[in-house]
Amino acid sequence: MSLTRTLKVLSKDFRLGPRSPIFLWVLFVPVLFTLILQVTFGSLFDPKPRLGIVDQGTSTITTSVQGMEGIELSLIDDADELKSKVEADDLDAGLVLQAGFDDQVRSGAQPPLEFYVGGESLASNRIILAVTTVDLIREVEGTPPPVEVAVVPLGDEGLPIAVRLVPFIMMYALVIAAVFLPAFSIADEREKGTLNALIVTPVKLSEVLTAKGILGVILALAMTVATLWLNDALGAKPLALFVVLLFGAVMCAQIGLIFGAVSKDITSVYALIKGTGILLIGPSVFYIWPDWPQWIAKIFPTYWVINPIFEVSLNNAGLADVWVELAIALGVIALLALALLQLTRRLGTQLATAT
Amino acid sequence: MTEPAMKVDNITFSYGDLEAVKGITFEVAPGEILGFLGPNGAGKSTTIKILTGQLTPKSGKAQVLGVDVTADDPEMQAQIGVCFEEKNLYESMSGAENLRFFGSLFGLKHVDADDLLRRVGLADRANDRVAKYSKGMRQRLMMARTLVNTPKVLFLDEPTDGLDPVSSQAIRKLIKQEADRGAAVLLTTHDMNEADELSDRVAFINEGKLYAVDTSENLKLQHGRRSVRVRARDEGGIKERTVSLDEAGAGDALRAAVGSPGLMTIHTEEASLEAIFIEMTGRGLEG
Repeated sequence: MSLTRTLKVLSKDFRLGPRSPIFLWVLFVPVLFTLILQVTFGSLFDPKPRLGIVDQGTSTITTSVQGMEGIELSLIDDADELKSKVEADDLDAGLVLQAGFDDQVRSGAQPPLEFYVGGESLASNRIILAVTTVDLIREVEGTPPPVEVAVVPLGDEGLPIAVRLVPFIMMYALVIAAVFLPAFSIADEREKGTLNALIVTPVKLSEVLTAKGILGVILALAMTVATLWLNDALGAKPLALFVVLLFGAVMCAQIGLIFGAVSKDITSVYALIKGTGILLIGPSVFYIWPDWPQWIAKIFPTYWVINPIFEVSLNNAGLADVWVELAIALGVIALLALALLQLTRRLGTQLATAT
Repeated sequence: MTEPAMKVDNITFSYGDLEAVKGITFEVAPGEILGFLGPNGAGKSTTIKILTGQLTPKSGKAQVLGVDVTADDPEMQAQIGVCFEEKNLYESMSGAENLRFFGSLFGLKHVDADDLLRRVGLADRANDRVAKYSKGMRQRLMMARTLVNTPKVLFLDEPTDGLDPVSSQAIRKLIKQEADRGAAVLLTTHDMNEADELSDRVAFINEGKLYAVDTSENLKLQHGRRSVRVRARDEGGIKERTVSLDEAGAGDALRAAVGSPGLMTIHTEEASLEAIFIEMTGRGLEG
């Protein structure tokens, strides 16, 4: 196996990529899919409430808002700038905290508080910011709230639908980039006879297939990162995320190479993807409907890469938390590699004996 | 003595129960063109696939440039050129891009695509995508691709099949030039005139068996029927007489025919390669 020759074939595939509608489909469809699903179910275009604060002293209210993930805080230098930003709808609301505001509140002096609200801001954001401000002032005052609110959860507890859809969208991106693209590319070259032209040069069939697998892995990594980023689900551990995504991309690329090696033409690839697509994407459906028996998901080989990605990207898990799944995934990858080795030999014979 | 560029010793190959190649033996010297003649399914392409390392012979031995073809040796592959009957080019690449890409696979740092394309008459279409090429242009590009690594051994599978006379002639000229350069050429073709014109020797193959490997002149001498056709006018009109030169008393018969009053034309007639092929194998070259 020569890395140089493999990279030459890979470089050719990358150069030809933008000229192929399939390649462009791989790049755009997962992004489009994300946008459609997020617009329908998610919160991609639901902006966080934006609060601007002019803190003329060192109020604990500012510190508290800085720690809140649900509010986008901007610290402004003077009140006039704050007003113009709120007026221009750059902020939903703005607060001007005078110097010594906290001490005055604690002493019961009832200092003046300017709270500006943007005319074009969403009503929901105004309410959130106003209620939050009142709560924080009560905290500063140190008095208990006038009533105790009993929070009673209704409906199923669990992750919101937008989050539960992330594994599905991510798996779709993986399958399109890492399974479909290599399979299509092999079948296309086989159909057009260019595979035969390659294997009478010093290039080996295994090098051609490896190049196509690497192409799938690189695009799958790029597309899954893009998909997770669009869904605000990159997690807090980039190295762990890269490792689990790499496992997923490699396993899917192997499946793609197997599909390509057993398909006589592009029509066969489409038929194979249609017939087995549900088996590949299947485990991700169990995240959308968590009531379903979750053990069923574990029957699918791709579960062992989807779950680590889900845990790392959405639950901030580390590699230590998902090592068992990754070990099983590695076993599946090893088995697929053995199958691929056999199928590469078989493909070589088929290419030579085809009339 | 020069080592043969191709040496095939009693190789066999079967597709399942079907014996495609039945113990064939031949050699091709550097600079020699061997025309490989046979109908479809005769075993020509299978032999090329064995020699290019795509298939492994069931028995026997084959060497190209002194390397066993089963060795899967990239060094050997780097010195051969294969022109397929199928036009398997990258259609979304230009002609020049195709040549540069294949050149890079042979480890070439620089490919003079312009020169190669000029040799096949495609210099002005170098940057056009192959998808826009005609059949003849594609075939000429196939030949250019075959020559990209200046190969020592060329395998040409029906390189002029279905081409117009101008394209065919351009490709034949190129094949001659390559042989003159010293490349050994194994040429399969259905075209007897092409085989006669280009080949230093021809090999007849049918149903996996090699019937003859010799120069076409020798084959014609050994197997063909030589005759002279004489046309003369006499009182009864135009009369035609054929004198076989292979029969006893041919000299006297010919003298008598040529001495006829009213002699109009004399034609010598040699056996064609096709006629010899049919005589030897009992089967025509087409189909």
